[in-house]
Amino acid sequence: MSHGVELEGTKPSLTPKVGGVLGTLVHWQAKINSYVLFVSMLALLAACLVLTLSVVMRYFLKWPTDWQDEVSVFLLVGAVFMCGAYVQAERGHIGISALEGFFSPAANRMRLLFCDIASLAFCTFFTYKTWSMLHEAVVEGQTTSSTWGPPLWIPYGLMAAGMTLLCLQMLLQILIALKTKGAAN
Amino acid sequence: MSVGIIGILYGLGTLLFMFSGMPIAFALGSIAVLFMFIFMPGSSLDTVTLNVYEEMANITLLSVPLFILKGAAIGKSRAGADLYLAIHAWMHKIPGGLGIANVFASALFAAMSGSSPATCSAIGSAGIPEMRARGYSPRFAAGIIAAGGTLGILLPPSIVMILFSVAAEQSLGRLFLAGIGPGILMVILFSGYAAFRYKKEYKEALDTYNQGGKKSAYLDAMRLTLYDKFRLLPRVVPFVTLLVGVMVALYGGFATPSETAGLGGILALCLIAVIYRMWRPSQLKPILSSTLKESTMLMFIIGMSLLYSYVMSYLHISQSAAESIVALSLSKWALLSVILLMVVVLGFFLPPVSIILMTAPIILPPLKAAGFDLIWFGVVMTIVMEMGLIHPPVGLNIFVIKNIAPDIPLKDIIWGVVPFVALMMFAVLLICIFPSIATGFPDAVYGLSTK
Repeated sequence: MSHGVELEGTKPSLTPKVGGVLGTLVHWQAKINSYVLFVSMLALLAACLVLTLSVVMRYFLKWPTDWQDEVSVFLLVGAVFMCGAYVQAERGHIGISALEGFFSPAANRMRLLFCDIASLAFCTFFTYKTWSMLHEAVVEGQTTSSTWGPPLWIPYGLMAAGMTLLCLQMLLQILIALKTKGAAN
Repeated sequence: MSVGIIGILYGLGTLLFMFSGMPIAFALGSIAVLFMFIFMPGSSLDTVTLNVYEEMANITLLSVPLFILKGAAIGKSRAGADLYLAIHAWMHKIPGGLGIANVFASALFAAMSGSSPATCSAIGSAGIPEMRARGYSPRFAAGIIAAGGTLGILLPPSIVMILFSVAAEQSLGRLFLAGIGPGILMVILFSGYAAFRYKKEYKEALDTYNQGGKKSAYLDAMRLTLYDKFRLLPRVVPFVTLLVGVMVALYGGFATPSETAGLGGILALCLIAVIYRMWRPSQLKPILSSTLKESTMLMFIIGMSLLYSYVMSYLHISQSAAESIVALSLSKWALLSVILLMVVVLGFFLPPVSIILMTAPIILPPLKAAGFDLIWFGVVMTIVMEMGLIHPPVGLNIFVIKNIAPDIPLKDIIWGVVPFVALMMFAVLLICIFPSIATGFPDAVYGLSTK
């Protein structure tokens, strides 16, 4: 838990410039990631405000606070999943790199490519299941079990969209690694 | 296939995926899904995402990003340096006061930010140059800052404790309070060592000078005016008030942990806006983006760790492993020692979040059966994981120190933290002999624990 402390050497490696269709896709993905990050920042601040409001409403205005927790959950779950691709682009999902020193650079490139492909395989499965869950929530009109009962397609939709972006980000990173023979890693 | 064999395969698979270098979250998710596919009914795969969502949509867990925001806001401002300078101004006359000021500043900053590396970075960037300018050895200066930073995951609001409370189904309020006594104990131990070390280094400097050697800065008297002492207080007092206010809101029954986190986040942003004029979008963007980056990484690990634990539980791996540990008929303290040793070894490779969530289903039932209070164990486990922050091979705080004081050789930093690792082991021993160091405070506030 570094709380924003970035160490030298842990900063994301620069993605090598690639041209053509792949370059355009990388550019657009980066643009989408930055917009999503901005909206997630607002969601984070909104969650803080909603929870603060909850305390004020309950103790000073004596108003019931039955919606604040769920709104905060939706905002935070949404922000977390939607930022998955941005964090992947920055290589911010941490892994164990203890064996890195035991392999040659070529073997390390293969290892990292395997990691990306295995991660993409898992995330693709997870994304598919998230869309299925969203489909069910929409068709069945699922809501949360609280008295307020907001529709569940909201968080599920954010999960599905975020996971889809994450898969696309991974796919791009794999394609770049293949095209540049691993220089992206 | 027997549960034992499945369990061994699950463990080996996890090691293989993790050591391949895959991100921890995806490695845990992959192995869980793979075993669901092979050993569980097909319908279980349909609920993978629902399981992850339901575990993550826990309002207590979701206070994690908000506490991180509070920590990042304070950590990226000058609050740490000001806090250190203010405490130093008031303590400089005490023998070893400079070192002790670093420990106190680290403890207070850690309680405000909840982060070990952020504490190291904020206090260390002001404290290490000052200590070195005053003649302290680089080794000691680095060691005390690295160790002081570890208080960040022990003192409330500790993110590690939030996760432990969820994994062990224990009261978060009790856990937060249980961290305070051991936190104070470690502050006393670290301060005592700082005073001892000061006397030793002062004597060496004096001997060298008396023998005609170079005069160390140690021997220079330090004079601070009353103005120096009061100058920084207006900048520091609001943050200390925030720290106290957040605790009052939580324990006074005014706010739930998540509301406290939200309130803390907003107040921290307001304070840095008013005191340090950090309100422009360009100044807030790094705070918010680093919060989201860390929160996303952590919440993905948390979600997938919970899925991993669910599969372990469904396949009876965790229950069988727990039963096997109980069947070893180890004495109470041998059991604790084995488990803590395992936590230390896991700490070589994994962050505290994963250690807690992956091991809780296996280690907590035997500990409960042996009669250990899980609140007490949560504190002991946290201190042991804190050690992982300052000892190789991971030792995140060591690398933070290397980053802020690049001219101190890594070897010196590592040797500098060794006495503090020993002090932390001593603290664990004291807490084992006198459990009320941890449980006394929560018991006094909430009454005796029934769990």
